[in-house]
Amino acid sequence: MFNVTGVVIEIAQALLGLAVAPALVGLIRWVKARLQNRRGAPIWQPYAELRKLLGKETVISSNASWIFRTAPYVVFGSTVVVALLVPVLITPLPFNQVADLFALVYLLLLGTFALALGGLDPGSPFGGMGSSREMTIAALSEPAIALAILSLALGAGSTNLGEMAARTIANPTVALSPGHILAFAALFIVMLAETGRLPVDNPATHLELTMIHEAMILEYSGPHLALVEWASWLKLTVFLTLAANLFVPWGLATSLSPAALAIAFAAIVVKLVVLAVLLAFFETRVAKLRLFRVPELLAVSFVLGLLAVTSSFSLSASSRHSGPESLSNTRAGGAPSALSPEDANQQPSRRIEGLR
Amino acid sequence: MDGLFSQVAVLGSSGVLLCAIVALWRHGIGAYISAFKWQSNVLAALTAAVAYFGHDYDLYWVAALMIAVKGVAIPRLLTRLAHRVGQNRESEPLVNTATSLVISGLLILLAYTAARPLQTLSAAPTRAGIPLAIGLLFVSLFVIVSRKKAITQVIGFLMLENAIALLAVLATYGVPLVVELGVFLDALMGFLVMQIVLYDIHDTFNTLDVDVLNRLKH
Repeated sequence: MFNVTGVVIEIAQALLGLAVAPALVGLIRWVKARLQNRRGAPIWQPYAELRKLLGKETVISSNASWIFRTAPYVVFGSTVVVALLVPVLITPLPFNQVADLFALVYLLLLGTFALALGGLDPGSPFGGMGSSREMTIAALSEPAIALAILSLALGAGSTNLGEMAARTIANPTVALSPGHILAFAALFIVMLAETGRLPVDNPATHLELTMIHEAMILEYSGPHLALVEWASWLKLTVFLTLAANLFVPWGLATSLSPAALAIAFAAIVVKLVVLAVLLAFFETRVAKLRLFRVPELLAVSFVLGLLAVTSSFSLSASSRHSGPESLSNTRAGGAPSALSPEDANQQPSRRIEGLR
Repeated sequence: MDGLFSQVAVLGSSGVLLCAIVALWRHGIGAYISAFKWQSNVLAALTAAVAYFGHDYDLYWVAALMIAVKGVAIPRLLTRLAHRVGQNRESEPLVNTATSLVISGLLILLAYTAARPLQTLSAAPTRAGIPLAIGLLFVSLFVIVSRKKAITQVIGFLMLENAIALLAVLATYGVPLVVELGVFLDALMGFLVMQIVLYDIHDTFNTLDVDVLNRLKH
């Protein structure tokens, strides 16, 4: 269904993401500043930064090759494509055939990979250090992401983003299921690691020992730097949108009526603001982990993902005797058990009769 | 209603299990104690929920007792113990943190496979939480065997006790109140005995690291 309106809305969504991303980061910074008793820069400060950077000239090291020059465009481009895939306002979209969670994660990783190459290319020691750390973290967060995705997909019966959101809207009890909540926690930890937020990487410093993202982009300047920074802000926005719309999808429009779209717009703004404030609170509460404790944090995320998968799996397997409130149809018509529920009435307790 | 009940049961059991995993991840004794405290509180909340949905009003008493004994009294005693002994870190677990997290995940998978027959036999709406309770049993045993400090081993034992209580609540909606009280008293006595033994160990060896217990002393 490649109709024109759908495509227009799709592109509008991506542009909206691009426009909102700096404000979101500005909001997070502002809330953090307020929590630390500072006045903080205004929320539109990131826009001013972008304008300043785009107006400057680019200085490139004489050792840098074409990789260094193309990396910002790859990073920015891949992130914008991801922003096209995420359901922001409305769920069945023309690009829905390719809006798959796996595609999304690996497009984001393509950006990470390009940026790591860009950090390595000029041959400065900092860039190489930052890239190697980033790659370590990306490799460690990989299994956790895969498990969290698998758990969500088991719940919804597909890895398609639109399908998942639609399934949760249609079946609100799913949002309370442990598979869902644990997968959210796992994905949240991975998001912190992937977007370079506080327990893993401190976005506010330029101190050599703590830098991961900052070290990689140390050699960039001018418009290149603007693109890289904008892409990283957009990545954060995309992750937050994904978290909001996969786990709490209410408010997403399912039709093209203007009223539904307005509601969807208001809903997504509210969700993003709430998530940004929560993230700022969280970042104020925690201290940065030593680099060698990051694998432990990602191991926590991995175990949460594993728990999420097992609980989704066992629920889909064990809900075969239950009636209409069965949680998923991935195992429609499992093997009939030897005992019908009536035979299993020889309960160890006398109180179950009241429940039937 | 039934669907909501089983949702709440699984959610509560997941919360209880999650507290044990948090304890595995953190290093400080204080973190272990607070993880145990939260675990007991979540367990009490789950017990109250089972009492509400299963119309079994004895369980409210059990939940209140859980909060009083495991949520308040024992954590306080543990904190006092830790202060008096002057230790606040689990120095070097036998297994490093990342490995022990992955092992605990595998143990939970094992619990799922072990509990499959139980789940097919039971028709109670809480049956989906049973594997999680068995998983908590395994994970707390793992805490006992993989930690070196006697205090953390005691906390592992207390978590094991929580796992048994959770299993009782999920599988049979709580054993009769008398039995429950007996188990409580048992756990409390066990804990007090352990506390005295810990004090003795500390007085004799000036440490709580169980590795030095094979040194002969008079």
